[in-house]
Amino acid sequence: MRKLGRAWPSLVTCLVIVAIWQVASDREVVNPALLPPPSRVFPLLWEMIASGAVLAPLAHTLGYLAAGYALGCAVGISLGVLMGVNHHVFNIFEPLVELIRPIPKPALIPPLFLFLGIGTTTKLTVIALATFFPVLLNTIQGVRGVEPVAVNTARTLGHSTIATIVKVVLPGALPLILVGMRVALGLALILVILAEMLVDAKGLGYQIIDLQRSFGITEMFAWIMILAVIGVLLNAAFEWFERLAVPWRAK
Amino acid sequence: MSEAAQHSATLGPAAAASASRGMRPAMISKVAGWLLVLALLVAWEASARLGLVKSQSWPPFTGVLRAVWDGMLTGELLGVLLSTMLRMLKGFLIGSAIGVVLGLLIATVPLLRRFLSIVIEAVRPLPIPAIVPPLILFLGIDDGLKVTVVALAVTFPVLINTIGGVDNIDGTLLQTARTFRKTRLETMTSIILPSALPTILAGMRISLGLAFVTTIVAEMIAGSAGVGYFIMVTQYGMRPDQMYAAVICLAALGYGLNWAFVSIERRLVGWDQRQDD
Repeated sequence: MRKLGRAWPSLVTCLVIVAIWQVASDREVVNPALLPPPSRVFPLLWEMIASGAVLAPLAHTLGYLAAGYALGCAVGISLGVLMGVNHHVFNIFEPLVELIRPIPKPALIPPLFLFLGIGTTTKLTVIALATFFPVLLNTIQGVRGVEPVAVNTARTLGHSTIATIVKVVLPGALPLILVGMRVALGLALILVILAEMLVDAKGLGYQIIDLQRSFGITEMFAWIMILAVIGVLLNAAFEWFERLAVPWRAK
Repeated sequence: MSEAAQHSATLGPAAAASASRGMRPAMISKVAGWLLVLALLVAWEASARLGLVKSQSWPPFTGVLRAVWDGMLTGELLGVLLSTMLRMLKGFLIGSAIGVVLGLLIATVPLLRRFLSIVIEAVRPLPIPAIVPPLILFLGIDDGLKVTVVALAVTFPVLINTIGGVDNIDGTLLQTARTFRKTRLETMTSIILPSALPTILAGMRISLGLAFVTTIVAEMIAGSAGVGYFIMVTQYGMRPDQMYAAVICLAALGYGLNWAFVSIERRLVGWDQRQDD
């Protein structure tokens, strides 16, 4: 409730923006063919939701996002822990990581496309790659930042290496791992939409670019709004998860 | 803010620390690391030369290096890279300026903050590729579009960091300014801006990486020029050596950009202790 109390001025702003949008479109300050008024976008949006037309593209996009993100996080955290704990592993992989990391990940879509073909595998790989690097770097830093006293204590108490990693190192590194995962989530969302625009024929990204090309502008804006809501929800879900995972690190 | 610092952190200094623990084995594993890179490159070269990977799209590594060299000599690749950098820089500067000004306003005018904060939070998570198609309708596919997209992408991290930077200013400083009857403008230029500068610059550093990626994304979706378009065209046109050449150049550029910004940052706010956090 308190949050709602703080939210009302922003709601006013939203309403004002929608009102200006409506008037600008009605009075043809902007071409209504290019920016259809909310009075046309919102009913269409509602219709899409009510008829269930949103479900298939949404499920497609979110499914690949989840799979690629999970893969990238799993590999990133595993390798990150190994590289953080053992400096030999670190030395062996550091040059390779540092050489590949600066490549802007969108630029990898065309080469991957040549090998992995249209759609699924390419998309999954590029999302996982984009997720991997921020998670890896933060995991290494997080593992390195774990209190050595805590690690030594665990060792003194007779914990094995694996038990020490699971019980002491991972929890200690978790806040930083989550920072990396948050950065990665934003990147993964960018990559999934971009990959759908370039090399897929399904999903939110494809819908948006296809409707722009076929001039289904009202519907395109409806999809963009759905995507905006997805972005906000994903962020909120991540924050909730972060509070759940590291309650001691209240913001 | 801490996201920024963590994300862009390199692996360098920690490596030096670990080297002191065991000198010889560390040297061996370091050499092994570079040997691994070398082995992968040799495997690439051999698989292409010996026809282990039978594909039109798998040129040998030396062929790619040659394409880099040729692309630079003929100026084709060089021109494409330069045009991308120019667009990126324009968008970055415009977006940063908007972000800083808007951030300072929101941070210092409570009314603005109340009316805008959640709107910003709502717009921010929209992934950047999604705003390209609607903007194409208004701006076409030329430079105007790409600069606008980059500026939009850059604005938000700078904005958020500017607000964060101002919020973290020591209250005593502001009270002192008030005691000395500084005007609002004087307080802004002599206290708020310098105190928030390290955080603002951290935001600009993330934004620079973002601007780089966004420029390429925009060029890929709304192709007419630039590296993003070049990569798409060479992929469709089955000129993989040139495509890989462009990707390699992008990696080098990405590395160079970050290095350049960190050097500038150090010069501007080298006095700031929080840098080392």
